Amino acid sequence: MYKMMQLWTPLSTVFRRVLPTTCCLASFTANSQFASLSSHLQSSSRVPLRYGLDFSPYSKISLLSFCSQSAAKLDSTTKRCWNCLAEATGSTPFLYCDSCRSIQPVDLSIDYFKIFGLEKKYEIEVDGLEGKYKDWQKKLHPDLVHSKSEKEREYAAEQSARVIDAYRTLSKPLSRAIYILRLEGVDVDEEQTVSDPELLTEIMEIREAVEEATDSQALNQVQSRMNEKLEETSDSFANAFQRRNLDEAVTCIQKMTYYQRASLCCSCNVIMGSTTLRIEEMITTDV
Amino acid sequence: MLRLVAKRLLGTASGDIPSRPLQILPRLYHENVIDHYNNPRNVGSFDKNDPNVGTGLVGAPACGDVMKLQIKIDEESGKIVDACFKTFGCGSAIASSSVATEWVKGKSMDEVLTIKNTEIAKHLSLPPVKLHCSMLAEDAIKAAVKDAEAKRAKTNATLKGADVKSG
Repeated sequence: MYKMMQLWTPLSTVFRRVLPTTCCLASFTANSQFASLSSHLQSSSRVPLRYGLDFSPYSKISLLSFCSQSAAKLDSTTKRCWNCLAEATGSTPFLYCDSCRSIQPVDLSIDYFKIFGLEKKYEIEVDGLEGKYKDWQKKLHPDLVHSKSEKEREYAAEQSARVIDAYRTLSKPLSRAIYILRLEGVDVDEEQTVSDPELLTEIMEIREAVEEATDSQALNQVQSRMNEKLEETSDSFANAFQRRNLDEAVTCIQKMTYYQRASLCCSCNVIMGSTTLRIEEMITTDV
Repeated sequence: MLRLVAKRLLGTASGDIPSRPLQILPRLYHENVIDHYNNPRNVGSFDKNDPNVGTGLVGAPACGDVMKLQIKIDEESGKIVDACFKTFGCGSAIASSSVATEWVKGKSMDEVLTIKNTEIAKHLSLPPVKLHCSMLAEDAIKAAVKDAEAKRAKTNATLKGADVKSG
């Protein structure tokens, strides 16, 4: 329950504040089941699927057992609202029925790009995401369905959580890159060892520089260098992905992970440094 | 009376039964991990260009960890006389590499190749999610040995070449 409460701030707060830019990798591991299941669904859409429910959207078990009820219909191409049986229009992803205003169950075949009405490309307009995200939450947020049936409240919980995850995943280059490769069937998040001496030596030197930096200015310099590298490697990824060179794409993702981690360490050290200074000030100042 | 109170407060008396039982929280780092993290053994660097030094540099990109393990070989016996490491990563990764440097000292290169990640993981009671850290340490040992052997082979080849020329 705590995880859910963390996830769903009240609707009003969602619109007031910017979403925290926490690393999407953590939340994404839960969704690793989505894409594999979604590709499975696409290939076997005529198989009737059971609708299993677990009321914690980030539980892996619930994600695995959660299948679109609409796929059980004979005509698997046309989706219908569970409530009023109206057909899905096809122009917008069918998360919500505009005819009767009911929230639909999660359909894993609708990938994150479709949710935001985007082409399945790595390079997207990130600025447009926030508006669409808020539009979706105006329809799907659990706060709006308190008076509705338990079934629809559960749909709201899961749809809303999925849209949040989609937004977070697509907003950041690294998580977006990992996701788009996952849709191609390439799982990057494996615990494999690499021994590319050039890359590792570079990373080692960067991390040592971060540890040995004496002031926040030096750290900020390293951090801006890291952000440059992130952008460069992001472009390399786009290039490699477009050419469908998936091995190269994976290497780019590995590099991006290292640069992002180093950038994070810079931020942490800056915070630690300034906190230490503040504490020293407090100790030396007469209170 | 005063001494008893002082003992209780400071908790310095050995063999005293603590007045409050310690609440064991789940998913704590094992004390071995904490020990290696707080008192890491063998942190440092050897000269990479030293012909008797083997350097193993490995990384786990999924979590952004990077581990460097170096071994110093005794020329005559071929045994590992010293080892050091530098790891940027989680506590489990640091502890795993620290353990690795302790375990390789005094052994031959063939012997250390038999060190398994499962042994390291068991020693540190690593949870399943951290098993790859011990794997990284095992790979670092192997990489260091490989480098040391390559250097030795190179040195021997150079020496042989010199012998042939002078002889």
